[in-house]
Amino acid sequence: MPLDTSAYNLALLRVDGRRWNELRRIHAQIRTQPAADGSSYLEMGHTKVMCVVTGPSESGARRVGTTGGAAAGALGSGGGGSRDGDAEVVVSVVLAGFSSVDRKRRGRNDKGILELQSTISSALSSSLHTHLYPRSTISISLHVLSQDGSLLAALLNAATLACIDAGIAMTDYVAACTAGSTSTYAANDEKADPLLDMNHQEEQELPGLTVATLGQSDRVIVLVCESRVQVSRLEGMLAVGVDGCKQVRDIMDKVVREKGRRMLEEGAIEKGVGLEDMDLD
Amino acid sequence: MPITIIAPKPARHHFHDSHQTAGSDDESDTSSQQGASLDQEGDIQMLISQSSRPKHSHSQSSQNYNIVTPGEVITSDPQWMRGHGTYMTPQTHNIISSVAGTISRTNKLLSVRPLRARYTPEVGDLVVGRIVEVQAKRWRVDVGGTQLAGLPLSAINLPGGILRKRTETDELQIRTFFAEGDLLVAEVQSLFGDGGASLHTRSLKYGKLRNGVFVAVSGMGGGGGVVRSRRQVWTMEGANNGGLIDIVLGVNGYVWISKHVETAAVVEDNKDNNNKPSVGITNMEEVVSATMYSSQNDKIEVDTMREIARLRGVITALVENGLRVDEDMVVKGYHEAVEMALASEGGPDDVYLGGERGEQLANALTGV
Repeated sequence: MPLDTSAYNLALLRVDGRRWNELRRIHAQIRTQPAADGSSYLEMGHTKVMCVVTGPSESGARRVGTTGGAAAGALGSGGGGSRDGDAEVVVSVVLAGFSSVDRKRRGRNDKGILELQSTISSALSSSLHTHLYPRSTISISLHVLSQDGSLLAALLNAATLACIDAGIAMTDYVAACTAGSTSTYAANDEKADPLLDMNHQEEQELPGLTVATLGQSDRVIVLVCESRVQVSRLEGMLAVGVDGCKQVRDIMDKVVREKGRRMLEEGAIEKGVGLEDMDLD
Repeated sequence: MPITIIAPKPARHHFHDSHQTAGSDDESDTSSQQGASLDQEGDIQMLISQSSRPKHSHSQSSQNYNIVTPGEVITSDPQWMRGHGTYMTPQTHNIISSVAGTISRTNKLLSVRPLRARYTPEVGDLVVGRIVEVQAKRWRVDVGGTQLAGLPLSAINLPGGILRKRTETDELQIRTFFAEGDLLVAEVQSLFGDGGASLHTRSLKYGKLRNGVFVAVSGMGGGGGVVRSRRQVWTMEGANNGGLIDIVLGVNGYVWISKHVETAAVVEDNKDNNNKPSVGITNMEEVVSATMYSSQNDKIEVDTMREIARLRGVITALVENGLRVDEDMVVKGYHEAVEMALASEGGPDDVYLGGERGEQLANALTGV
């Protein structure tokens, strides 16, 4: 069904009733699977993603005589190699058959999935402190349960949360979201509003990009744009996207803190110390 | 075939009534002398008396039960040194957290203990591990850390006498001592620069494991699981004719529960000398070594197996309910579990401790 973009100008409301700068509901959980090293579950609107992290761990005999890339290739995943000796981030993405409206058969070497994997892998290996885990592999397994736009953003956010749950040292959260524009490329409308967090319908029709930043900073570490859009509109879209990433980071931070607070209350971890009583000589 | 759908459990309430809060406070105050404790409103109370000096600037951590998350600036004061779980940016003095966890401090060293992480070895840790790889002069052992630990051939007790020098014959027979998949208990002897560990089994306490069951729970990384404590290995009497049971709690979160076997030396000796309890120390070494690397299980009575299964259930129930795993908790939990089984309709044979039963056990232990 084509998206009726003409109605936007009447009430300035998008198809799902949001304003231009509103995120969809984000719900996240960490430690969803006790047996895993790290795990998370994330919903951005109706996009639902599950993530399990294994590692960092050394894979034993498997790696003997093979390079990092070959080992990663054996798993059919994007290996985020880095310098020799640093941990390698291996990502595998599985799209469940029931996740979208049309049940599409995707092969092991689906180009779209491979690109998702390598984007996530390179984004995370730039943020994770891989030099702390030499000769080991961080394996990130992502399962998409439901798709409704902003898939790459949801995958990045879920992977970040799972890495935090696994206790892997990182520079900061990798927070991602999408941004779009209210009119199509063909319309060539200079005054088009930017849109935050696109759903599937909007993604089909309108130009959009996925942006991920490092925590609260303005450092963009992922920027993917797969549609045609006038350069003049790009700046607005990017600004809105970066702003959205900061909101996403705060939401994820809240989830992690809540989990930590609960663990403290239950006595599962020792309490920390404040800095106030530290003025001893 | 009829299918029953069990309704999802409602979210657990987290210590809202004052009784529970008080209970958890007592426990943590005695176990950790950290200087800060939470009172019932959740405020931070500093035990160290207020000094007249100005306070250091710090982030919003005290409102958040001292949880820091990745990217959060812990302090910008140059007097602190950064420890594990933190990093610094080149130009500034900011110490920034790189994991989610609680701050810990040793004099001027600030580090962040993660909420949960893989095991990081420390010298002297008792660990349970599994051989994953056999190399020419050493084994590679999975101890649940970020890297495999090494066990050099020179760091095991070779059969046939005390501290024998290793020979080329031993190198050729390396698989007769440990082969892939074997479980062993060992001690961390030294650490490499990159955080890897080297193990040794040069004591009769250590060596190959058999006659029991392996359980993996989370280790020292934090968030429940095995904690470092006074005793990691002990023998206890199983209820209902269970006999003696050995428990090894590896600091790395790997646990071994097995039937207690009298030191092989004693058994052999008794056989030979018609129950004369005389074991020479030199003699013992020789006889022990014969069975030390055996992979053959002894006969285990059904009663013992059942009690081993019950102990395993207790440990998994402790972990599922976020409680620490140490000798005290396991022994108490085991007695509680025996009582629960006697009261249940299945009688002593009922070893199920999952779901509600596990919660019931945890509640009994925390005194709620």
